[in-house]
Amino acid sequence: MKLERQQTPFHELHDILDHALSKSSDKRVGLLTSITGGEIATLLLSPKDGTAELMVTAVENNKYSSFSTHHAQFHWFERALFDFFGIVPEGHPRFKHLLLHDQYAQDFFPLRKIDLPTDFRNALPRRYEFLEVKGEGVYELPVGPIHAGVIEPGHFRFSCFGETIVNLEIRLGWVHRGVEKRLTEVPWQKAHFVAEAAASDTALANAFAHAIAIESILDLEITERAQYLRTIALEIERLAVHIIDVGGIGTDIGLLGISSAMGRLRGKALALADLISGSRFLRGFIFPGGVRPVSERKLSEIKAGVIALKKDLTPVIQMLSDNQMATERMKDIGKLSKSLAAEFGMVGIIGKACGIDCDTRRQFQQGKYPELAPEPSIEIGGDILARTAVRVGEIWSSLKTIETLVDNCPHGEEKVTVPEMLPANATGLGIVEATRGELIHLIFTDEDGKICRYAIKDPSFDNWTAISIAIRDNLIADFPLCNKSMALSYSGNDL
Amino acid sequence: MTSINTDAILETLVFIAIFLLLPPLLVGIIRKTKARFQNRIGAPLLQPYFDLLKLLSKGETISKHTSWIFRSTAAINVSLLIILAFLAPWTSLRPFNLGADLFLVIYLLALTRFFTVLSALDAGSAFGGFGASREVTLALLVEPAVILCLAAIGSVSQTSDLGVAFSFNNIALANQPGLWFIAGCGLFLASLVELSRMPADDPTTHLELTMVHEAMILENSAANLALVEYAHFLKILILLGISSQCLLHAIPFFWHTTELILVLSSIVSIMILAASIAIIESVAVKLRWTKLPEFIAYSVAMSIFCVFIALSKNLN
Repeated sequence: MKLERQQTPFHELHDILDHALSKSSDKRVGLLTSITGGEIATLLLSPKDGTAELMVTAVENNKYSSFSTHHAQFHWFERALFDFFGIVPEGHPRFKHLLLHDQYAQDFFPLRKIDLPTDFRNALPRRYEFLEVKGEGVYELPVGPIHAGVIEPGHFRFSCFGETIVNLEIRLGWVHRGVEKRLTEVPWQKAHFVAEAAASDTALANAFAHAIAIESILDLEITERAQYLRTIALEIERLAVHIIDVGGIGTDIGLLGISSAMGRLRGKALALADLISGSRFLRGFIFPGGVRPVSERKLSEIKAGVIALKKDLTPVIQMLSDNQMATERMKDIGKLSKSLAAEFGMVGIIGKACGIDCDTRRQFQQGKYPELAPEPSIEIGGDILARTAVRVGEIWSSLKTIETLVDNCPHGEEKVTVPEMLPANATGLGIVEATRGELIHLIFTDEDGKICRYAIKDPSFDNWTAISIAIRDNLIADFPLCNKSMALSYSGNDL
Repeated sequence: MTSINTDAILETLVFIAIFLLLPPLLVGIIRKTKARFQNRIGAPLLQPYFDLLKLLSKGETISKHTSWIFRSTAAINVSLLIILAFLAPWTSLRPFNLGADLFLVIYLLALTRFFTVLSALDAGSAFGGFGASREVTLALLVEPAVILCLAAIGSVSQTSDLGVAFSFNNIALANQPGLWFIAGCGLFLASLVELSRMPADDPTTHLELTMVHEAMILENSAANLALVEYAHFLKILILLGISSQCLLHAIPFFWHTTELILVLSSIVSIMILAASIAIIESVAVKLRWTKLPEFIAYSVAMSIFCVFIALSKNLN
């Protein structure tokens, strides 16, 4: 989607946000970031009509009054804004570094393009201080960043009272690689290789969002066949991740039979990915202008594979859903209320499990969506059971969608010719419903037509806070299961 | 005279061989059965032996915050469990008649737990702390079940010597299949909790926060870990052995059969119980921590039934 950069003064921005994020409005915040360090850019989404607006507000004296005090969902965006640009959100309730760790220099702000004001001093120490819960009998339990399983790094600091969690503070950023900066340095024609490496199990969705954003800057129409193939690949990726995540629930409650069966079936879903793209993780399939060629024979094999997978998945998933002990184990644990989920702007599985219809496949243009978007899988429980049910629902709807798409996929060219230059001072937006939820790529070009700022908002960035909220007053031993039910990405968040 | 001696020596050697070599095999059986339930081939039956050998050849890392308690616990526990293996009636073969008082057996078991908990606290890690706290909580809940089951048997046989009660020739216990069966089941359910198996604890999990037993031994490594593991295997042998002996006593056939068949059935029945642990672990879900007392209540209820049976018997 092509965007205009609307110059909005500060006092207006506060009013616009208050209005847009009030309960009666259906708008929500896409992301908050900066372009050079001299302004803040706020992306406001209108899911109802599938449009977005971008407001650019100049920042004076390198600071502004924080939005987090009124709108909780800004709280990580503003901390990241300070990490990367050094812009201070004054009055932020828990102001500290988010992704950049202790080893960086005190005044190091990697994405800042303009000089810091001469009198600016970073008053925030690099040393990270966890929130300390005081009181007799409260003890701290540090977990990670290295875990006993082969998973990504994240540090969890629990403050516990007996077996109950009083507070959980999550510290991420251990796999911060500077993806956003790197994306402005590589030639834009090759940038999709970097974009899809932002999170490996979301490789296709990232490449997809990147392609949509670049194509919207170029005003490029891609072929109908490419739209179909992109959508099929997106659903295959969703299928593979959901299958292993439902299997992961089996591991954590001790139903190892289900988890090993799901592990095997995930291999079959990856084989579908291999069929369409030649890569089990769908690398290099989507690029601006189209997709890699796919033969008709491969498409019919994919359809046969989907039918076989559906048949294999049915008894395994039934074993999990029919197991009364398993249901009881998941019910009413890690519960997140709908109002808190809405307030913190939860997206994807977590939002859907709280009864929020936040499936961007039905809202924003992406491939053959919203035209052929499946019915959303929505639950109202907000607990582990609801999140698992949403995942299972999406497994079925993805299988069905792939079948429909393969049946209707037209013949023709897979790619169109792409211009050599990007237009100057343009802004491109790509929104894709990745497995975990709404994924946003936002690209700004400068006066030479080079990418000067590339912002990615992974769904996990919105959703990490959900764990801290949902696990409060739950048992320590329930945390791993709750964490698994959310299955958030560390690398997508850390970028 | 000499022939009796050779018999006794042979019996002793067989006994020592069984209790030294059988425990890792039991774990192998559990793991293999679980793997088959998951449609996997699984590691070889003898893998636990290889694992122990591997651990013995590794270099050890000891936290500098630990004291002698941490370093000696594994050895103390193995010694205590070997003493227990000589005392407790876990098989029909008992070459040494040492007089196994039921309270001695129960509190020797408790003593091993005491040292494990101390060593978990000694390393000072947060996981050791809550692992120990969970272990003690569970122990508190299951201990009555174990004591009442064994005490009921003891009270019917008018002795607290388990060696006498579990000897297949105690007239008072001869026609009590109900008592033996309920005691056997109660002890088996209690053993699941005592041995940190599902549904109380998931021994295969890598999730530190859900662990009970594993959380306590996170700091152990190399030979120390090998001893800890071996002690745990021995505990499996002894607890499953006692439960299986109860169940065997419930079947009249074993009261009138030869010594050899009895010994073989003792060993086979322990293996069958090990396989049933695997089956339970494959179909059951690891229970929520707060639901565990409900599960333990089953074994406590069985032990109370045993007490009722014993009371009615004694009142007659």
